[in-house]
Order: sequence, then C-alpha cells, then structure tokens
Amino acid sequence: MEEKIDSASNGWQGPTGRRTDEWSECLTQIAATGDRAAFTRFFRHFAPLIKAFALSGSSLSAAHADELVQEVMLKAWQKASAFNPEKAAASTWVYTIARNCRTDMFRRLQKFDTPLAADDFMPDQEPSEPFAMLQSRRSRDTIHELMGTLPPDQAQILAKVYMEGKSHAEAAAELDLPLGTVKSRVRLAIQKLQIQLDR
Amino acid sequence: MAKFHPSVDLLTEYVAGILPLAQSACISAHLNYCPQCQQQSARLQDLGAVLFESLTPVPVGDALLNTVLARLDEEPPLSYRRAQDPAVGRLPALLQRLMKGDFSELSWNKITSSLSISYLKTGDTAYEFALYHIKAGGKIPEHTHRGSEMTLVLQGGFSDAAGSYHEGDFLFREASDTHAPTALQSEDCICLAVLDAPLRFTSWKYRWMNPFLQLRAG
Repeated sequence: MEEKIDSASNGWQGPTGRRTDEWSECLTQIAATGDRAAFTRFFRHFAPLIKAFALSGSSLSAAHADELVQEVMLKAWQKASAFNPEKAAASTWVYTIARNCRTDMFRRLQKFDTPLAADDFMPDQEPSEPFAMLQSRRSRDTIHELMGTLPPDQAQILAKVYMEGKSHAEAAAELDLPLGTVKSRVRLAIQKLQIQLDR
Repeated sequence: MAKFHPSVDLLTEYVAGILPLAQSACISAHLNYCPQCQQQSARLQDLGAVLFESLTPVPVGDALLNTVLARLDEEPPLSYRRAQDPAVGRLPALLQRLMKGDFSELSWNKITSSLSISYLKTGDTAYEFALYHIKAGGKIPEHTHRGSEMTLVLQGGFSDAAGSYHEGDFLFREASDTHAPTALQSEDCICLAVLDAPLRFTSWKYRWMNPFLQLRAG
C-alpha cells in the first residue's frame, strides 16, 4: 500500500521524525568510524540550510556565508562524538553550532575584543531530565504542527528574531512597530506553539 | 532553587543569540542555577531548530564540499568524556573565566562602607559587567538607573521593597525604577550586575557621588 504524503495544506513543510533519526544515525556513524561517505550525505543536507541561515536578513556576504558553512561543517565533524542522540535531535545540534558560529563571526567582523566564544555561553550542565529527548521530540512535532496556525505577523517576528538575528528592538524599528507589540507577538507565538513552561 | 527568572521574551533573545554579550553572559550564569529556565531554553531552542529546518535551502557547490573534505584530515575528530559530577556550589564556568581567580583575588573598589564593586572585562563596550559585594545587613543607598539593570545573586541574598532574593535569583529592571537593596543579615551578599548606564543615588547623603559613578563598560 502506498503511503500518502500530506503536503501540508498551509504551506508549512518540515521534516518528519524519521528524517531526523536518519541524521542522528549519520552523526553517530561519523563519530564511530570517521565515515566520509556519511559526512558527505550530512553535508549535502545541512550545508544549504546553513547557507540560507547565514544569508537570511542579508546580514552576511556570500563569501562569509561560505566561510560559515565550512566552519560549521568542520565543527560538526570534530565534535560528532559529543553528540548525544538521547539528549537532542541532530538538527537541533547543528542549528546550535550554526548559531554559535554565526554569533562569533559577527563579533569577529565587529572587532569585538572579548575572551569569550559563543560556546562559553552554554550552561555547564545539560538538564539531567530523563525524558528530555522524548519531550524535545514531542515539542518539535507540536511546533511543526502548530507553526502553520500562527498568524503571519507572529511567524514573521519569529523568523526575524531567530533566523535574521534581529533583536526585538531592531525588529520593531524595521517593521515600524512599538517595541511592546513585538514583544507581545513573540510571547503570543510561544504560547500558541505550546512551549511556554511554568517557572 | 531560583524563584526569580528572566521573562520568556528575554530568554528568546538569549536562545536566538542576539542579546548583547554582557547580558547574554548574565542569563547564561542564571541557567546554571535554574533547571526550569534550562528546560524553557531547550524548548525555545527546539523552535529555533524547526525554523532552521524550514528555511529554503540555498545551493552549495561541490567546490565547497571538496574544500571541506580536504580539510578533514587537519581537523581530526575530538573525543569527549562524559560530563563530570555536577559541580555543586561552584560558580558558573563562564564567570570563573572572567574572574580569573576567586572573590578575594579580585580588585574591589570601595563605594560606601558596606558596598564594594569589582569590574570584570567582557569585551562588551556598551554594558558594564560587575560584581557587587554588600556586607551582611549592609544597604546600597537608594538609587535609580537611566538604563536597564540585570542582577544575579551569586552568594547570600538581599531584599528590597518588592521581595527577597537568594542564590540564583535573576532580576531585570528597566530605567527609572528606584530601589534600595539591603543584604540579608546572615552573610555577605555577592551579586552580578549588568548595566548600560551608571546608577544614580537619589538620597541627598550620597548624591554628591553621582558624577564619579561612570559606566565602566568593556
């Protein structure tokens, strides 16, 4: 029987859990045997996303975007053995490396003289929550499902903040909105995506 | 366990990597005390990953792949050991790096009889990143700010009109809030404070000091 693929009617398309597992296995293989064929597959999937991430908001030049792809991919190769599939999905792991490398690149370009690298800002200990991975998978699935239901103005702000790397104040200036409106859209989006925890 | 936390929109900016360096360091330090905020950050990071995966891919040529493949030999995979035992009662690693020693080895500027300040260098030229040492039972004269103030309690605790704060608690005050924190009687209090404008004493007794309170960012 053929499996029917639901090409999300709202235009929101994302990977399934299966695809995520494929990349986790890929990373595990790279860590275990230094498998270059696995690394090449990994590169072909993630490099175009990293490049898109670098170029969103046209914050970096094409040459810097390629440099970022190289840096992130080499880091993924070097640090593959630190990847723990029980704690995070491969895509979250790669996103985090890309975010840190981009932050460091911005600071380099702005000639920031700091003893700290973006990796130093990670908490010393990951949460020792035994169901962290299960929760993470659930939360990612929920986010995928609900993303299509977000009003466009909320989705737009999230893209500006996360992908374009704009602060709330910068996003407000760019969209000609009061800062309070931007903040409340972020908060509303986070509630709708059901990732707000009681603290 | 910490009772006062950064707001969810502040955490979003932290997770997206767009907070100014000094503020980001303060939130990162709070996460070391606060499993709840770590969980919240993990969820916000999942959101980042979902947005990342749904970007429209931009083609990357084989030339770049070959460059990276050629460099793999120069960058041998690193091996990692599992994390050590949880470091109970230890300061966050990031702070230790900036301090390069313990509290007693820092150089402290005496501001009043019960308040001393030690400025740490983060490289952020817009924000002052400093440790405040308040003697047990001592008071910071009533003051206000022209900018924002992040505070993280590292040792002991203090109270003001709005509440009492202990190790790991995080506070964020916008410009023009006035307060007069008092350290708890039981022990000296050490806080991390991140400011983008110098504090200004409001009580007549200390106002003469205001011109001397320059922001020490960097």
